[in-house]
Amino acid sequence: MSQHHFTQIYEKWQQSIDQKLKKTPERKGTFTTSSNIEVERVYLPKEVDQEYEEKLGLPGEYPYTRGVQPTMYRGRLWTMRQYAGFGSAEETNRRFRYLLEQGQTGLSVAFDLPTQIGYDSDDAMAVGEVGKVGVAIDSLADMELLLDQIPLDKVSTSMTINAPASVLLAMYIVVAEKQGVSSEKLSGTIQNDILKEYIARGTYIFPPQPSMRLITDIFAYCASHVPKWNTISISGYHIREAGSSAVQEVAFTLADGIAYVDAAIQAGLDIDQFAPQLSFFFNAHNHFFEEVAKFRCARRIWSNLMRNKYNAKNPKSWQFRVHTQTGGSTLTAQQPDNNVVRVTLQALAAVLGGTQSLHTNSRDEALALPTEESARIALRTQQIIAYESGVTDTVDPLAGSYYMEQLTDEMEAEVAVYMEKIAQMGGAVAAVEAGYMQREIHKEAYDMQRKIESGEEIVVGVNRFVLENETQPDLLRVDPLIGKKQTEKLDTLRKNRNQALVEQTLNQLREGAKSTENVMPLIVDAVRAYATIGEICGVLRQVFGEYRSV
Amino acid sequence: MKQKIRVLIGKPGLDGHDRGALIIAQALRDAGMEVVYTGLRQTPAQIVHAAIQEDVDFIGLSCLSGAHNELFPEIVRLLKEQQAEDIIVFGGGVIPQEDIPFLKEQGIREIFTPGTPTQAAIDYIRQQARPKQENWLEPPKKIAHIGIAVHSIDQALPFYTEHLGLRLEGREKVESEQVEVAFLRIGESRIELLEALAPQSSIATFIEKRGQGIHHIALEVDDIVERMNTLHEHGIRLLQEQPKIGAHEAQIAFIHPREAHGVLVELCQPKDSGVAKNDE
Repeated sequence: MSQHHFTQIYEKWQQSIDQKLKKTPERKGTFTTSSNIEVERVYLPKEVDQEYEEKLGLPGEYPYTRGVQPTMYRGRLWTMRQYAGFGSAEETNRRFRYLLEQGQTGLSVAFDLPTQIGYDSDDAMAVGEVGKVGVAIDSLADMELLLDQIPLDKVSTSMTINAPASVLLAMYIVVAEKQGVSSEKLSGTIQNDILKEYIARGTYIFPPQPSMRLITDIFAYCASHVPKWNTISISGYHIREAGSSAVQEVAFTLADGIAYVDAAIQAGLDIDQFAPQLSFFFNAHNHFFEEVAKFRCARRIWSNLMRNKYNAKNPKSWQFRVHTQTGGSTLTAQQPDNNVVRVTLQALAAVLGGTQSLHTNSRDEALALPTEESARIALRTQQIIAYESGVTDTVDPLAGSYYMEQLTDEMEAEVAVYMEKIAQMGGAVAAVEAGYMQREIHKEAYDMQRKIESGEEIVVGVNRFVLENETQPDLLRVDPLIGKKQTEKLDTLRKNRNQALVEQTLNQLREGAKSTENVMPLIVDAVRAYATIGEICGVLRQVFGEYRSV
Repeated sequence: MKQKIRVLIGKPGLDGHDRGALIIAQALRDAGMEVVYTGLRQTPAQIVHAAIQEDVDFIGLSCLSGAHNELFPEIVRLLKEQQAEDIIVFGGGVIPQEDIPFLKEQGIREIFTPGTPTQAAIDYIRQQARPKQENWLEPPKKIAHIGIAVHSIDQALPFYTEHLGLRLEGREKVESEQVEVAFLRIGESRIELLEALAPQSSIATFIEKRGQGIHHIALEVDDIVERMNTLHEHGIRLLQEQPKIGAHEAQIAFIHPREAHGVLVELCQPKDSGVAKNDE
């Protein structure tokens, strides 16, 4: 392709941006450095060749290597979305409102483990776990408290919920309904990525096949009822936390993504009907340049797959939109303040990689849940990158670096090898069932541990530059009575609700689950009748059975 | 007696983070231990049941969800209830320093916090395992004697009796070893001077290689056969399969000097154990 051809493309791109800027201008009229040098929106090679055009192109255009939006952070900054939640719904509501007051732009709900695994707080399996790693939600009543005074038509909410994602989404929809906000207006994300639960995170309930069906039911329901909702956040985050390499993180995540796309198509959905609502979730670890390259190569691979393999027509279906969290497993319990620096570097990598939203970890998370002060420093870290560093003034600033481009290409090639292997095994579901990804990750994790113990890999403050006497920081303690309080709330709820209606909706759900009917509307009905998460998941457990790890 | 140390690695509660548990399990396996991993989401009762079923020496618990203060002590309590409190429980995960005293008070013997090398856990287990596995065997009672190889008992004796003033208890020829032995009493032990009776005697070879000097240390034990079996099971090399008869008709056996880091150790059970001390 000729330079002339590219000039035409560029002019068209420029015109479309000018159109958009009339409606929503960039954050500033002009962007300049401290020396008053004007910063351009996007920098391009002096001579554009065919390779550049194919591999990088323009931001907001296929193959999206340079980002999914044409103006990136000049137009709007990423969403600063701190994952939070602990104890009771009331306590977490207070933390949410605090974070919104501090300038956070989206909510991200952490649920406790019983909620994530579909047990009520008074279940024997929930002993010791209620309210610990997130907020305890047993029924709509808790969700009403959690979202009290939060305008759901304005705030976008991400919910880290997988196996019972339908139940929590249903609760969110019903709370919005009570606030007078229709479901078409809701924006947010449910994680809803069950495959990585089997691979790395562990909060599965049902076996893979019925779990995939629940997911495609959500795709179909949201396409017509909650169109602005991200129906899944296909996650490499936890795969990386479990010990994978960056290449494995990309490969296993995209392989999972393909499995969801295949399942949805099999369920009769059209690719362009659901693919624009797919989103991704990546980690940001320490190796700075590799982390940046990771985002760029993932965008290129995904757009290529969606456009050329699945023949998606809508450009929104081609876009790899991603939320990022800094690497929890890189945090050290030793000298915890050092973690602020780690988080800064990781967050910067995610921003230079073009993330759509970001969670920065708090310095004390290797020890406990973050205190309010630690959570604030983590948010401030993002704000300093956004408003002081100037890295947001131009799109994809590392493009064209020999190192960056070659690393992006090489990672892409290695990801392809893994994805081909998984495809030959029959896809991600079969690979998960065979324990393939689990083993690959474990090998990598063990290898890294040995390198740390031999001193080949240096972890500052852990195997080098160690402090003899560490002072212990103040930690957040969850109310030890939370389990008892939730149990009392449940007792009151069960006494006061319309029991006949609960039983009726649960029976309808049971019948629906046995058939091929979309269960999502049935779950909304049960939630509205104040059936608990344990009751709803209990019905589904009876019909679908439970998964046992290999 | 068990050959290998057996460890159960358990994930109590609902926490799904098993990177640490899997790494520890593999590291212990690589260190030669038998490891059982329970998998995710085990109740304390399931873990205790599995530990007893699998006859383990240790339970290692991993929890990153903050539920350790509830779940770990419950496991210790259930072990006691089932009279299996000899199983040593240790733990790890996201556990704040300030919780450790409480957990130890509750009977969790050791807590490994983030950043601990796997070698620390391996060392801990080995250290705890030794005394525990040998508990039912009494430690050796005393040094029965120290054997000193000499060219000639006649020439060596005057130094020990006249200059040091030790009392000669007697001399004896031990045909099985082709040596003559002179016994010198010192407190509850003896010094034995050993002279080769034939060139193929081990004393002759010893002197040829290393000159005169301390040849071996003999430890008095109760049940030499049992002791030899135990050592054998621990993989300690012995120079004999069965005990043989030494001086004073005691049953004796030797441990390979490499095992004792360069010292030849003799195990020695006196002929009549009960009156061994007053054999005169």
